[in-house]
Amino acid sequence: MRVEYINPFVEAAFSVLKEVLGTEISRGELYLKSSSQPMLGTTAIVGLTGDVEGRVLFDMSLQTALAIASTMNGEEFKSFDDLAKATISELANMITAQAVTKLHDLGFKFDLTPPALFTGENMEVLDTDVEALIVPIDMPLGKIEINVAVRERN
Amino acid sequence: MKAKSDFPSINERQPEGISAEGKAYRVLIVDDSMFVAKQISQILTSEGFEIVDTAYDGEEAVEKYKELYPRIDLVTMDITMPKMDGVTSLEKILEFDNEARVIMISALGKQDLVKKSLMIGAKNYIVKPLDRKKVLERIVMVLKQRS
Repeated sequence: MRVEYINPFVEAAFSVLKEVLGTEISRGELYLKSSSQPMLGTTAIVGLTGDVEGRVLFDMSLQTALAIASTMNGEEFKSFDDLAKATISELANMITAQAVTKLHDLGFKFDLTPPALFTGENMEVLDTDVEALIVPIDMPLGKIEINVAVRERN
Repeated sequence: MKAKSDFPSINERQPEGISAEGKAYRVLIVDDSMFVAKQISQILTSEGFEIVDTAYDGEEAVEKYKELYPRIDLVTMDITMPKMDGVTSLEKILEFDNEARVIMISALGKQDLVKKSLMIGAKNYIVKPLDRKKVLERIVMVLKQRS
């Protein structure tokens, strides 16, 4: 996978998270995975289709999701209710939209699906024929893993 | 000696959501994200605006606008929504009331749709993530254009 697909997602995540959470952010070591991977438990997925195709996952623990929703809404969430879910979906939406704008500027043309949210324990994701690059983002509120699996359409 | 006017008079400032006649501006929020709708609502109510209703898709927005008319001053309109998108909903609202004041709320990357909306007759647009300053600035600008 070409790294030029990844950078826009990392840059967008940094700028959006900084803006909406007002917090320190640092990037962990990137790694590639081609086998099935465990998920952290609360995951927003956005699909890409066009010149490049694939999906981006924003993966975090339930605890991190609740902390992010609490900060973004200015109120504490005890359970992952509809408003908390809408908040995490919107976060995924904003990051992806900003990344896609950068990719469009680089000349790639494609569309996005609206974000969908998965929650559950012991989830795994397997991508066939395309390896996933994982970018861990560390914040005081917790960790988000941005998991990008995209390829150029032949 | 400093005159009273040298100090910022925070307490005397008229909230942005109140018109010169002393009435709260009436706003319809259209957004399929409960989070964004709540965020806009919080920003506006804190400045004295009255949120008269919220619609979660474009179709509902047109229905509610017709119900509320003429007692409505402004619509905030999301672009990507189920059933009917914000651009179509804008068109339908303007067909019904060509003086409707609609502000588009857009994620980055929808420049073409924002441009189209402005050509059709949207009064302004705001790009997410939303912040208080940006939202109030754009909305007040639109409300002042007519008065």
